[in-house]
Amino acid sequence: MSPKNTGVYLCSGCGIGDAVSMGSLEKIATKEFKKSCKTNACLCGEEGLETIRADLAGGVNQVVIAACSPRAMTDRFRFNGTQVIRTNLREQVVWSHPANDEDTQMMAEDNIRIAITEAAKSTPPEPKVEGEYSQVVLVVGGGHSGLTAAREASKAGYEVLLVERASQLGGMAAKWSKRMPVRPPYQDPQPNTVATLVKAVEADSRITVKTGCTVAKTSGMPGRFTVEFSDGSSQTVGAFVVATGWRPYDARKLGHLGYGVSPDVVTNVEMEEMLAKGPVVRRSDGKAPGVVVFVQCAGSRDPNHLPYCSSVCCGVSIKQALQLREADPQVMVYIVYEELRTPGVAEEFYRTAQRSGVIFIKGTVKTVDAALTVTVDDAMLQQEIPLSGVDMVVLATGMVPNSTNVEAEAPEVEEEKLRPLKSDINPYAPFAVAGTGAPPLTPPEEKLPEGAPLLNLQYRQGPHLPMLAHGFPDSHYICFPYETRRSGIYVAGPVRRPMDMGEAAEDATGATMKAIQAIHNAAYGLALHPRAGDLSLPIIGLNQCTKCRRCTVECPFGAIDETDQGFPQVNSTRCRRCGTCMGACPVRTISFTNYTVDMLGSMIKAVNIPDETEEKPRILVLACENDAYPALDMMGIARHQFSAHIRIIPVRCLGSVSMLLISDALSVGYDGVMLMGCKPGDDYQCHFIKGSGIAKERMSKVGDTLKSMALEAERVTVAEVSIADSGRLPKVIQDFVEMLDTFGPNPFKGF
Amino acid sequence: MTTMSPTPTRPYDLGFTRWVYQNIDGGDRMALCMQCGVCSGSCPLSTTMDNGPRKTFMMIRAGMKDAVLKSDTLWNCVSCYNCVVRCPRHVPVAYILHELATLAVREGYAPARTSETNKFVKGFTWSFETFGRTDERIISLFYYFQDGFVAGIKKLLAFKSIAFAFVKVGRLPLGLPHRIKNRGELKKMLAAAAAIEARHTAGRK
Amino acid sequence: MAQLNRYFPKLCHPTCGLEINFQRIRRNPKVKVFTLASVAAVTGERGDYTVTVRQAPRYVKANCTACGDCARATEMKVQNQFDYNLGKVSAAYLPHEMAFPMRYVIAPQVLGTPEAERIKAACKYDAVDLDEKESTFDLHVGAIVWATGWQPYDAARISPYRYAYLKDVITNVEMERLAAPNGPTQGKIVRPSDGVAPKKVALIQCAGSRDYNHLEYCSRICCLASMKHAAYMREQSAEATVDIYYIDIRAHDKLEAFYRKVVNDPHVRLIKSKPAEIKIGPDGGPVVCGENTITREIYAEPYDLVVLATGMQPAGVEGVSGAPVDAYGFIVPEDETQGIFSAGVASGPLDVSMSVQSATAAALKAIQAIR
Repeated sequence: MSPKNTGVYLCSGCGIGDAVSMGSLEKIATKEFKKSCKTNACLCGEEGLETIRADLAGGVNQVVIAACSPRAMTDRFRFNGTQVIRTNLREQVVWSHPANDEDTQMMAEDNIRIAITEAAKSTPPEPKVEGEYSQVVLVVGGGHSGLTAAREASKAGYEVLLVERASQLGGMAAKWSKRMPVRPPYQDPQPNTVATLVKAVEADSRITVKTGCTVAKTSGMPGRFTVEFSDGSSQTVGAFVVATGWRPYDARKLGHLGYGVSPDVVTNVEMEEMLAKGPVVRRSDGKAPGVVVFVQCAGSRDPNHLPYCSSVCCGVSIKQALQLREADPQVMVYIVYEELRTPGVAEEFYRTAQRSGVIFIKGTVKTVDAALTVTVDDAMLQQEIPLSGVDMVVLATGMVPNSTNVEAEAPEVEEEKLRPLKSDINPYAPFAVAGTGAPPLTPPEEKLPEGAPLLNLQYRQGPHLPMLAHGFPDSHYICFPYETRRSGIYVAGPVRRPMDMGEAAEDATGATMKAIQAIHNAAYGLALHPRAGDLSLPIIGLNQCTKCRRCTVECPFGAIDETDQGFPQVNSTRCRRCGTCMGACPVRTISFTNYTVDMLGSMIKAVNIPDETEEKPRILVLACENDAYPALDMMGIARHQFSAHIRIIPVRCLGSVSMLLISDALSVGYDGVMLMGCKPGDDYQCHFIKGSGIAKERMSKVGDTLKSMALEAERVTVAEVSIADSGRLPKVIQDFVEMLDTFGPNPFKGF
Repeated sequence: MTTMSPTPTRPYDLGFTRWVYQNIDGGDRMALCMQCGVCSGSCPLSTTMDNGPRKTFMMIRAGMKDAVLKSDTLWNCVSCYNCVVRCPRHVPVAYILHELATLAVREGYAPARTSETNKFVKGFTWSFETFGRTDERIISLFYYFQDGFVAGIKKLLAFKSIAFAFVKVGRLPLGLPHRIKNRGELKKMLAAAAAIEARHTAGRK
Repeated sequence: MAQLNRYFPKLCHPTCGLEINFQRIRRNPKVKVFTLASVAAVTGERGDYTVTVRQAPRYVKANCTACGDCARATEMKVQNQFDYNLGKVSAAYLPHEMAFPMRYVIAPQVLGTPEAERIKAACKYDAVDLDEKESTFDLHVGAIVWATGWQPYDAARISPYRYAYLKDVITNVEMERLAAPNGPTQGKIVRPSDGVAPKKVALIQCAGSRDYNHLEYCSRICCLASMKHAAYMREQSAEATVDIYYIDIRAHDKLEAFYRKVVNDPHVRLIKSKPAEIKIGPDGGPVVCGENTITREIYAEPYDLVVLATGMQPAGVEGVSGAPVDAYGFIVPEDETQGIFSAGVASGPLDVSMSVQSATAAALKAIQAIR
């Protein structure tokens, strides 16, 4: 690679030139750093861009732009592969500080120093692509979701390997007599099309099916997963769609609702099988039932059983009731519910059942006895009512996710490696209430899913898919529902959360899209969400590595394994490039070519620290680039003012911030350090899942370091900052500045 | 009345419910009631009703025939139609209440016979059958004196001030009541209506 | 979604995910974006469609730097549509702090006034074009994904709730703006009538939804959105009480936990009742009237603020979509012989997560159509 030839370009537009001396800024570049530097009154305009393009043609191969926020004009300041380093003079300097003020000028100058230092220390990453990458999508589970995923991947031109635990395809849905309507007029039960889907999959030359087969072991990474199967075969695949579905909640635990007490108390799954077989008759005497009662939420929404709503049961009972009514117009059908949940267009399905004469009773079923007397606490009539003369009771039991293989024994694994199985968050965590705080709610007891791991991941962090809550391996993001902590492995259908067939088909299609993306990105060395397209990768200097294992333990995505010798080993396509490993490494031996501890340290040190007599404190802000940094920008857009003693350096994630950076900053004379990152914990907002949480944990121990330096522990703080905090931030910053004032200057200044 | 509606023997026996769904005008739409409460909440007389329309509909589903047909809810409806226009499921609530009231009369439920509304209606009917007009004075007097002379006088005195106020503003004419012309035509019309109703009732299961 | 303050159940800010998506689009030269644009016609077939696009004038050219000089040059204010007209904004405005593209817009009302010339003169970059006209152009594409979203149902049409007459009866989307830090009140929830923080608040579910007179379907999101609004209220006030009037609480799947934890707060009360009407109280404030269906009590309860949980109505694209539309206006493509797909609320009443799910699926369907 040719030596760096860095051109520095300053923009004086949007008020920058009116507020700071451009001449002095130019001098920083030309005199302090010996770089060529040009100023334009509108750098993003055609003339400004032409200046840069001309220089690129003349040999400049790295561009530093000091203008608006790097979040603005991204498309314009893009020059075919040339590395562009941006620094912010507009939003975070002149728009949020007084014009022609000494402190504002110093802030702008420091930002130029920071950017040129970054440019000097940063090398654009090359894509890491080596060997072959598999284009095969492995679909685990041959039910409705899995079959859909297989077909959709094939239709997009991808090879598919579909494995199904049972001896035939179809899964639970194959048992269904009919399905709920998903198309207008949304009124009548529809034919079950699973058999057609099975045929389409079997006839599809791009799809290979293995039945009676499970995944025995998975190692590797996206684009190159090596999968061993229970039949002894193995194959390399590019990505996974896990569609292992669900199983009904064990009705034997619902004795109070008569299950096991009377043969004529059946589950909704059993009723479905009866409807599929032919005329529904009582198990006890083979007679057609004249009176049938459906009991909703049989186990669901019950802290003693399944704390969540199984979503589909209202629709399923309505469907079955309609089928019973259609088969025999004389049959009396009752649906006893607490909250009737037919969201969206399914409301019409509910009305159809009412129109057909199904009786809906809002209330709670207390007991069902051997004589099939259903005792209902009738909410509308405000009395306890015994429903007698009942011929059949159908319990609308809920969905339990097959997030493990319950048919297989759980293998022995160390306790530490079972961690992904434990709920990550408490969905019942109290929300903020002014004054007293919300009253705590005891969360229902979480039981670890039983059975063997589905994919048996040979990952350092354990064989299981990480569970979110209630045993569902789901994403915690509302806006990114396919976000996964195991790159290249996408969970779809009812194993992700309770859903009906219509939604599951859509979900399977979405997950397939993600699997295809993972396959594509792996082959080009591109990162997955949220740094989609990033080429940089952590490089570990094994010479200095002390095998402390912090990087392998802390990686939020389980991307780093340990070799037999105990050295960390990055699985490149599993990596999401957050830098948490870099922040974890106590010997600074993990870095990216364009993001290193040294680079960040040098940027921190590039700031001119006035000595203590000048009464100009310097405070370092390390800001999460996705949330805190935009919030700081928006402060400028709203023209909120904040202290000019702040120096802001964006970081990929607070997780990438090493403790050593903090002590470096304090030892060069910063008076305080504020880390701005996303909310950790139960409602975590960190897009690297654990990054901000890990940073908080690390910083809780910073007190000792500060103590050894004879500094106040409060000089370092972690602020939870969301992207919407631009209105709140000025005060957060001001409070910190004022607190630091009471400590006086950092005694290390000038050393 | 050719047939009576069935009387359920246990809670939520649907015999009566289905009869109502099939035989009461608008009964089929009652099936769509989701117990939201808009009807009872919209009813200006709701506080005077024992059950109100919403609960009445649930009681019909629960097979509580006697309680429904004895209920004052059927009689206290003043046909403002708030419930009808607001019902999110387009259930013709007021119409159904009137139909149920008619049913209660037919099936001889005591409150139907003794309710004030029914007494008032009798006066109303007598007035238009006799005069071809609904004369407020005749209706009032008929209504007041149904329970005997003493009770009638008492009621008359109780409404004295209102009556005088009406007279003052010209809303209560003092002349003699007069009949319409061609009362024979009216009688024919009433007879035709009765025949239609009889046919209608006979057609019911 | 930029207009939403937070998402349920995490109470996190939608702009957080928006930032990631915007960054991704900004960096991706394969994505072309047209704003102020609507589709006038679709012709052709799977693999070969011609889409006629009509683009309304912005009166600001692509070289706008978003410096804001134009906004400061004029005194003229227009209704702030981003805040559902709860506040006003300069006639030359940035739609919001995260607007994409980050360019100003000039309100058409200002055209032809001296203010327009003042705005034009203030721009150092000559980015104002007051003569810009609506333009129409054709795009040639292989597949189409309709992701045209929704609009809140017009609450004024639910006449018994007197939305048009009572200032302190607002809608759920207005509540989002009131609670938003970048909203008309900087995030402080106040009564529109007098700017005072409400102490007693009613949230009315199914305001329009599940109703033959209005929207026949259930809008799915409103129950949980109201739980979120109860949380907003409680976060801002230690004394505030919140009453939620409902028919059925529809907290599907794991969202049940969010509902449970909100109603665990003793200041939050659930009342199973669809209110019949909102009357005007002696002090001019709203009085919610109806029947409590559990107790059969007829109530007339005065409130400081009433929030109508109005439903989602699909943005009308009937006639131009090129695909079938159901009775409610949702786009329901027949089958895969067409290369036209729908995603998000254009396809049915979905929450955010389900919308993204649906959009990801639609993307794959579209890719299949053009391969």
